[in-house]
Amino acid sequence: MTGPGPFPDVARVDARDKVRGMTPYGADNHPPNLAHAMLVTAQIGKGRLVKVDTDAARAVAGVQLVLTHQDTEGLKADGYLFANGRSFQSVQPMIGTAIAYRGQPIALVVADSLEAAIEGAEQVSAEYVTAPFSVTLDSEGTEILAQADLPLPKPAFADKNVGDADAALAAAPVTVDAVYDSAPQHQNPIELIATVASWDGDELTVYESTQHVEGIRQGLAFELGISPDKVRVISPFCGGSFGQKNAMHAQTVLVALAARTLGRPVKLVVPRSQLFHNTSFRPPTRHRVRLGADRAGKIVAAVHEIDQQTSRHDLFPSMATDTSARLHGIPNFRSRERLRRTDVQTPGFMRAPWEHAAAFAFESAIDELAYALDRDPVELRLANELPYDVVTGKPFSSRHLSECLRRGAELFGWARRRMAPRSMRETDGTLVGWGVATGAYPSVISPSIAQLRVTDDGGIVLNVGVQEMGQGARNAVAAAVADVLKVRADQVTTLLGDTKGPPPHLTAGSWGTATAVPAARQAAIDMREALRKLQPEASNGATPAGILRHAKRPFLEVEARHQAPGAPDAVFDRMKQGLLAYVGPEFPEFVSFSFIAHFVEVHVEPATCRVRVPRVVTVADCGRVVSPRTAASQLRGGVVWGIGGALREASEVDPRYGGFLNADLAEYLVPVNADIGDIQVDFVDKPDPMLNNAGVKGLGEVANVGPAAAVANAVYHATGRRVRHLPIRIEDLL
Amino acid sequence: MRSFAYARPLTVMAAVQALADASPHARIIAGGTTLYDLMKLNIEAPQALVDVSRLGELTTFDTSGTRELVFGAMARMSDIAADRTLQTDYPALAESLWLAASPQVRNMATVGGNLLQRTRCAYFRGGAPYPCNKRQPGSGCAAIGGLDRSHAILGTSTSCVAVYPGDWAVALAAFDAQLDTVSPRGERTIPIDELHREPGETPHLETILKPDELIVRIRVPVTVAGRASTYHKIRDRASYAFALASAAVALRVDGDTVREARIALGGVATRPWRARDAERALMGGALTEGSARAAGELAFTAARTGQYNRFKVELGARTIAEALMIAKGRAKTS
Ligand SMILES: Cc1cc2nc3c(=O)[nH]c(=O)nc-3n(C[C@H](O)[C@H](O)[C@H](O)COP(=O)(O)OP(=O)(O)OC[C@H]3O[C@@H](n4cnc5c(N)ncnc54)[C@H](O)[C@@H]3O)c2cc1C
Repeated sequence: MTGPGPFPDVARVDARDKVRGMTPYGADNHPPNLAHAMLVTAQIGKGRLVKVDTDAARAVAGVQLVLTHQDTEGLKADGYLFANGRSFQSVQPMIGTAIAYRGQPIALVVADSLEAAIEGAEQVSAEYVTAPFSVTLDSEGTEILAQADLPLPKPAFADKNVGDADAALAAAPVTVDAVYDSAPQHQNPIELIATVASWDGDELTVYESTQHVEGIRQGLAFELGISPDKVRVISPFCGGSFGQKNAMHAQTVLVALAARTLGRPVKLVVPRSQLFHNTSFRPPTRHRVRLGADRAGKIVAAVHEIDQQTSRHDLFPSMATDTSARLHGIPNFRSRERLRRTDVQTPGFMRAPWEHAAAFAFESAIDELAYALDRDPVELRLANELPYDVVTGKPFSSRHLSECLRRGAELFGWARRRMAPRSMRETDGTLVGWGVATGAYPSVISPSIAQLRVTDDGGIVLNVGVQEMGQGARNAVAAAVADVLKVRADQVTTLLGDTKGPPPHLTAGSWGTATAVPAARQAAIDMREALRKLQPEASNGATPAGILRHAKRPFLEVEARHQAPGAPDAVFDRMKQGLLAYVGPEFPEFVSFSFIAHFVEVHVEPATCRVRVPRVVTVADCGRVVSPRTAASQLRGGVVWGIGGALREASEVDPRYGGFLNADLAEYLVPVNADIGDIQVDFVDKPDPMLNNAGVKGLGEVANVGPAAAVANAVYHATGRRVRHLPIRIEDLL
Repeated sequence: MRSFAYARPLTVMAAVQALADASPHARIIAGGTTLYDLMKLNIEAPQALVDVSRLGELTTFDTSGTRELVFGAMARMSDIAADRTLQTDYPALAESLWLAASPQVRNMATVGGNLLQRTRCAYFRGGAPYPCNKRQPGSGCAAIGGLDRSHAILGTSTSCVAVYPGDWAVALAAFDAQLDTVSPRGERTIPIDELHREPGETPHLETILKPDELIVRIRVPVTVAGRASTYHKIRDRASYAFALASAAVALRVDGDTVREARIALGGVATRPWRARDAERALMGGALTEGSARAAGELAFTAARTGQYNRFKVELGARTIAEALMIAKGRAKTS
């Protein structure tokens, strides 16, 4: 396959609207006669509802309706995303009396005004029977499950066992054996989760903020027991998501139910403190990494063992070693992944859901090995590249990690680094540390359908199933069409995020570009052929509209489909049911990953030990870069996330109470502008020759694989302290 | 969030009258950045608000006086932080405002309301089910034995370990500021050191102010130690975070000899904390890295630590030591 050439760096197609505040988000919809809702949540760690007292709430002026578990008869739970459902967890609150975790909704109050709904919600009280609960990896009552023994699809969720890692490790003259911990985190996009539901007869329209309108349509129809044909879900823009909005949340069906009961539209914007308990989050993990190398620096063995939190009611599997096994060419590799069941809402996807913590652990261990060997950490990684995948024996569709490392080292000035910890200082005594880490992320592809329509008045309208959540999907698909039809990207109108269009896939896992761009490109190629047939003699400069006018045709429409290499046609049926339909990263002929290298400089103040990150250089191999502007933003954003994960973010859990304690943006510390220095990003920008017709792999997730490790390695280089947990805080360095 | 009565008087006299009329259920509101926040969290539910933000006579400030600096209680944090005279003659005061909150908050918040901001203890702010003696007297303290990383190590009691979160009051404490108040009972002057209480058995009583007592102005005696001063704030991120430990330090030195040392601490205590032992230890001696460090340690001899905040002893000592050296550097250049 030959892909397109390099793409021009042009402004976001939605930039003007965004800076003017004109972009329509889900909660911006105000249908006439709108009522407002507020949730009431459980205050116990686990147990059962005995009674919900709603009298006082109903007495509040303006309150129209209070829904509790007694009003949900006939409602069915749709099921968990990883168990053929479309919800972020299997528990649908307010069906039945069981309380699985603190913060679970127990009532929905609906009123004429938001203020009355809030006041009503404050007036709801409940009586419970409490049960013992455990909420941390190490709490008593936490149940430890070996993932390989669980009813999860194999080989995807089997332990890896390549070569004989234990024997090679035992024989290795230089070894590392260390345990690394990562804290729970919440995605915290700025846009909150919201639902606006209105009924017209038996037809339901829902405005949301989601990565998957079709999942919500199908899941909602199932829960309500109505035909999906009666449901339309609209989410043209999503104000940040980072995995949080990839599945259906509890409030959607409750708001739809309230709207049906009241016979008027209802809106709910879930407050942030409740979001900490009503969406997924990044679970805490513990990694034991063992590495063995010969004295020349050839890494001969790795054993990567992981414990990851899941909920009592669902199995959120760990897929971390899929990636750690591919970071370097280590011929003997063994993994063991375990899940720890606790009484929380089901944890889930947060940008680089497994890979962020896995890369922190694995790339810290590689750094420890570099010091054990006294080898430069960049050189050590370069010396351990293999051209094929040791897990499957197949080739990589493309692998330019060495180029990422070399180019990054060059841009960063890595050659001037002194190896010894505490050996680089500013004149005022500030400790300087330089760290490096690599990352990888699986390339997978979902099925995609693109419809392209050109009209004789110059209209070029692309309707393709992909969600825009700020990552730049609109830019990418518009650029793909513009490139083929020789127009500007901003001349292409993109219709996304509406179940009235072609069935959209769940846009997640960095597969959006590799899924939608090839379909969009194929539609554009088909369109170009169709136009050529209309006017074979047309000059090179002829516009689509000009050709249509010449042929006296008001419009022309084409539809193109795309699916992963080797994917069965059944993936389209799964997509139409709103289910997971991706294939990869193992394909019949190859294995596909994106790769990245991060170089980080930290400054650590000598007395108070505050850590600053004045500069970062990141180079990514994501195949062809279709939208340079948004791709660069994705990389910078991923690095900012890495800095947050490395130095600040942690969702705090008090095991005596359950739930999350620092449930707001003042206390859950994400980096602020003043924390971010210079971030220089670059791309290999070589089209992947095997994965798809556009040569694209994924980018958004890989950007956050490795930066935290690079920060931790830089902190070690600056201070001589190897901190093996995230986040790294002042008290770790004093 | 409940409905409440609301009055917005335009003169101090009218404000006092409004407070008298609505007492004891009225609350004063200025910029609202603390009070509205707590009302939304349902931690505070006043029945009546007296909005004092339009008391024009209290929005001004004057840093040019020869005896004292005068700040109207309704002056904005951002306006005072931007004052050139303050920045050069009393950097600790300017920095304590500059390093607080965010530009948006500083543009709304008043320096009077600032003194009365309430603790960020997550168990206090979290509401039910957490017991909190401050929020609900007698219910207990969830922070003791809980996630207490950000909590106080000085001035704590068995009822409460919540940190006083503000910066400005700490800097004012270092300079022995005074507050003028008015209430239906008349006027009085309160030394800043007496404004805040230690929690003791009554952590819900945070200050000695009466509910209907309005702070009208803050006065700071003029001192040359102002020039050699700093507000050194150590926190988890570079901006928009409360202090893990902070020190307001002001010095008067004669050659190498310390003639006057003022040290007040934030982020580590239940109220703005004057470190008088540390001050005394420095008096009459030369300020060196060693004596600064010793003073820092002395300030924490009475510290009582919990599960996760032990590091504040060391961090606090280092913060004081570093602040002293910064202040000393400013003494030389002035
Ligand atoms: C996210 C966030 C971060 C923050 N970070 C910091 C920080 O890092 N450092 C810091 O120091 N502060 C910080 N703050 C607190 C902020 O400085 C205070 O909220 C603000 O100064 C309060 O002033 P205000 O005028 O808005 O007070 P209000 O909210 O209007 O009032 C606060 C209290 O003071 C009382 N009151 C107000 N004026 C008077 C008066 N004249 N007389 C008597 N009583 C009065 C009110 O009754 C109320 O109890 C932060 C606040 C927020 C929201």
